[in-house]
Amino acid sequence: MHNVVQLHPQALLEQRRNEQTSAIGMMVALGSWGMMFAALFFMYLGLRAHTLAWPPPGLPALPIALPSLNTVVIGCSSVALVRALRSMREGQRRPASLWMLATFVLGLAFVGLQTLLWWTTWQQGLTPSTGTLGTVFYSLTVLHALHVAAGLAVLAYLLGMTLGGRSMAERVTTLRLCGMFWHFVGGVWAFMFVGMFLL
Amino acid sequence: MQGVMTPADIEAAQHLQHIHETPKSFVKHYVFSIDHKYIAKQFLWAGLLFLFFGGMLAMLIRWQWAYPGEAVPVVGNLLFPDTQGAITPPTYNTIFTTHGLIMIFFAITPIMIGCFGNFCIPLMIGARDMAFPWLNLLSFWIFALSQALVLASFCVELGSAAAGWTTYPPLASQVGTPGLGQSLMVLALFVTGVSTIMGAINYITTVIRFRAPGMTWFRMPGTVWGLWLTSILNALFVPVLGSAGLMLLFDRHFGTQFFLTGAAGGTGDPILFQHLFWIFGHPEVYILILPIWGFVIDFMSFFARKPAYWFRGSIYAMITVTVLSAVVYGHHMFVTGMSPLLGQAFMLLTLVISVPAEILFLNWLHTIWKGSIRLTVPMLFGLGTIFVFGLGGLTGIYLGTISTDLYLHDTMFVVGHFHLTMASAAFLGSFGALYLWFPKMYGRLMNPFLGKVHFWFSTVGLTLVFGFQMLAGYAGQQRRLYDPFQYSYLEGLQDLNRFTTYCAFALAIGQLAFVYNFFYSLFAGKRASQNPWELGTIEWTDCASPPVHHNFDRIPVVYRGPHEYNHPEVLEKLGRDWIGQTEEFDPAADAATSDEVAATA
Amino acid sequence: MNIGFTMMNHLKKRLTSLLVTLVALTSATFANAAPVPATGWGLPRDVSVDGHKIDWLINATTFFITILFVIMCIWMAAAVVKHGKDHQAEYDHGDSGHHVAFAMAISAVIFLVVDGNLWFNSTIDVNTTFWNYTEAEKHPEAVRIEINAHQWAWDARYAGPDGKFNTADDIVTLNDIRVPVGVPILFQLASTDVIHSFSLPNLRIKQDAMPGMINRMWTTAKETGEFDIACTQHCGTHHYKMKGLLTILKMDEYKSWSDKMSRIHARGYDPKDQAAKWGWAWKKADTNDDGISVEGKPKSAALAPERSQSVSLAPEARN
Ligand code: HEM
Ligand SMILES: [Cu+2]
Ligand SMILES: [Cu+2]
Repeated sequence: MHNVVQLHPQALLEQRRNEQTSAIGMMVALGSWGMMFAALFFMYLGLRAHTLAWPPPGLPALPIALPSLNTVVIGCSSVALVRALRSMREGQRRPASLWMLATFVLGLAFVGLQTLLWWTTWQQGLTPSTGTLGTVFYSLTVLHALHVAAGLAVLAYLLGMTLGGRSMAERVTTLRLCGMFWHFVGGVWAFMFVGMFLL
Repeated sequence: MQGVMTPADIEAAQHLQHIHETPKSFVKHYVFSIDHKYIAKQFLWAGLLFLFFGGMLAMLIRWQWAYPGEAVPVVGNLLFPDTQGAITPPTYNTIFTTHGLIMIFFAITPIMIGCFGNFCIPLMIGARDMAFPWLNLLSFWIFALSQALVLASFCVELGSAAAGWTTYPPLASQVGTPGLGQSLMVLALFVTGVSTIMGAINYITTVIRFRAPGMTWFRMPGTVWGLWLTSILNALFVPVLGSAGLMLLFDRHFGTQFFLTGAAGGTGDPILFQHLFWIFGHPEVYILILPIWGFVIDFMSFFARKPAYWFRGSIYAMITVTVLSAVVYGHHMFVTGMSPLLGQAFMLLTLVISVPAEILFLNWLHTIWKGSIRLTVPMLFGLGTIFVFGLGGLTGIYLGTISTDLYLHDTMFVVGHFHLTMASAAFLGSFGALYLWFPKMYGRLMNPFLGKVHFWFSTVGLTLVFGFQMLAGYAGQQRRLYDPFQYSYLEGLQDLNRFTTYCAFALAIGQLAFVYNFFYSLFAGKRASQNPWELGTIEWTDCASPPVHHNFDRIPVVYRGPHEYNHPEVLEKLGRDWIGQTEEFDPAADAATSDEVAATA
Repeated sequence: MNIGFTMMNHLKKRLTSLLVTLVALTSATFANAAPVPATGWGLPRDVSVDGHKIDWLINATTFFITILFVIMCIWMAAAVVKHGKDHQAEYDHGDSGHHVAFAMAISAVIFLVVDGNLWFNSTIDVNTTFWNYTEAEKHPEAVRIEINAHQWAWDARYAGPDGKFNTADDIVTLNDIRVPVGVPILFQLASTDVIHSFSLPNLRIKQDAMPGMINRMWTTAKETGEFDIACTQHCGTHHYKMKGLLTILKMDEYKSWSDKMSRIHARGYDPKDQAAKWGWAWKKADTNDDGISVEGKPKSAALAPERSQSVSLAPEARN
């Protein structure tokens, strides 16, 4: 069960070092990703700054309840993933799997609620081609949801691996990287929530 | 901290990077290789192929400016059968657009960053491979996919992209430039961006984590510094282009209106695209020059057989430029209706870049002064790089000054300027690097005579072609004109344009010397010894030519900087004018310096 | 020893001749580039009151960078000639205090003298002249012209005697802009379709014409004559043909031309023709200094709806 503890000290050291290397790579990658989202936000702010009223006249205001709920959902999923990683480091297979499952379900809920959000706005007549509001709203949220979906795919794979009884020590690094990505995606959502729905 | 070398540290370094088995299967060895040296070669070939492609497009542009609308000789009927060999305006637009994009993203970038980044970084810092070999493999094949997209864009109806390399909407929108070609090209840019970022992640991490014991930051060769700083800019700013490209694609295909307004329908804002483009675009020009600066710092020292003059100063200058490059982009937008205050701020910041640039120039010149210069082919290319870059960098001053840019903006002067800085310097620098590292890559020597022929044709050719382009721009000739002589004030420039075209043809013909030399040397060149240039950096002192699959049986220990030439004591005791970075020589003193370096680092 | 001296002397001679050649070459290049409008070399003839400020700065820049470039070339050539492979290299890391101070000092001096000079002069020129619309607007006789660019021509609109745009007495021309000599000419620029750039090389000035915003530009002519208007921003298939004619007239000639034209235009004015009303209320000098026009946006979006036809240019035109 407690695979990590069984590792040879030298191997443990190596694994730590490799994990750190991967984490640095992931940090660079996320910095890069962040710049991509920053550019999208720049567009959003630029377009909004040039329009006298927001939402532009004749267009519905974006809903606030669903996104608020979603903020809570994605926040919880991040917490769950932190717990999963902790359990995994301690070599506890069951809690790790359960927390991962929780993360996965919450992530899935997020995507579901987003779909509901799009459905609502679409019903109100907002499409990607209805002015700049529709343009930025759909582009940003869809791109973001795609990232969440990608995260979900990795989580599902990891969950399968963990349940399948593979050595958990090998998976710690992957889960940690996945977690970094997941928190990043959550952070982007936080920005979007404040910038697009609250303000 | 890397400087203090306890035996445990040295031992730990051996284990941090495993020795990968040499792959046995053909596919793993030659197609999906994870070996950085092999991936470097893949990038080299892919880049050279597209360099040829882009070069041919350039010749077509030059022909058009010399003999507007007349049938292109030799290949005309083959390329443009519908018009008996003449270039039509839409075709011309496609030619100059794709020329720019191909050269920047699919020729120079893979050669300079993809090839030399991959080849040099691990070898020069004493690593067995990149930090993430699989990501490296992916990076190349994604790049290959982007090249395939470029080729595909030529095969669809209405042809490839035609909105200029800057791809400004609304011209780049579906209304301004219909057809799948433009979209495929923007997609190719996005995909190649993904590949570039993957490379950058690898380079940045590898340098941070995998430097050999004793390889402190300031013992890294200039080459590695240049490539590393470039990677940082790549990681930060290529995604901005990616974002802009995505939004453009959304506008083209999903009905959004980020940049669409006016007749294109919508309430978007095209000028925001220019902001995004140049937030990326200005760093991009430094992305393409920082590695070259690194090469030049090293080459000057290597072949003047003298330590690089104020090496730290050069590195600080490069770091300063890296930072500044993020805040000057507005100088590309002086005539877009920018507020005067903002304009002046951008002007000042732009001009400030000349301070680190001067430090670099002074250091290069001081390095060769009182040296013992060996005019080898890489050295010649290095000197040529300084020459063209000097000319190009200095002419940037006209453009960074608002009032003179009011006249010169969007003329051939800008084209001359950026071809001297970016195209010529990157071209000469990269070929210099190829001549230098070819023996290490392929284990054979290239012919120096042909190399010199190639050098003279290239340097003189590039200087004349782009110097004359600046003169044409000075006289007012705008860029991207199908027929410049429609304008009465440009009628007199016909001879100048023709002569420039002849120079360009000569430049192209001179490249044959390289092509022959390259292929001949590849198969029949003289076998290279381990260290044919007598250099002290790790790839020459600790690796065979070509290196074994895992580079080093034991990770070497580094004792000194990369530029130790003509050290009096070495000269006296070893009887040679160089000493390797990893050579144990007077260990006591070496250990002392390493502690000292560690203390300051 | 003797041989050494002979060689040194020989090298010095070679160096001197190299230097002379370089200076000669450089000055020849720039002499060539000096204005010879008839041949098309050098700057085109300057017919603006303020263009000389730009020309002066261009020449100042040329002066400074020629010096720097020549020094660089001589330094490089001298090093290659004098310190070849037979010369014993000096072991010097160049990072001692005085070396560093020297490099910093040189860079600082170059920066202050060259860049400082350019920045200072350009800032003054831009603020007092080229981008100083407020001053130009104040001139009682200033001529105001609205330009609407579209693929591949320039529409120009003059307010006519009533001084108001989009009224019956407006003068509207195509690719034909006439202005008087000696008074400020103020342009406001917009575009129907893609980005164009309105360039007057003989007056040394240009400004982009963008869809969705209104840009400004002004200049004063000092000579009469006919000159090219050029589009300097790639704007599609026939970008190279987007040429207009600028005619600079004496004030009385201009007056009689404009009087005649507004009479003709008033006669042909059709109030129901919405498409003909592409102009906008003149943007005041002190609004929207960032150039991004809030009020301009909806207006220019309403520019010439019929133009959208002309923009679907493309499939056939791109063959
Ligand atoms: C050293 C000082 C430099 C200064 C002051 C400078 C200044 C400028 C300015 C102001 C422009 C805009 C001109 C215009 O569009 O009117 C420009 C264009 C350009 N520069 Fe530089 N530059 C410098 C160095 C470089 C370097 C090192 C590179 C590349 C390696 C470079 C590449 C370019 C490119 C590619 C463009 C034109 C892009 C386009 O419009 O298509 N420049 N430069
Ligand atoms: Cu720039
Ligand atoms: Cu145009």
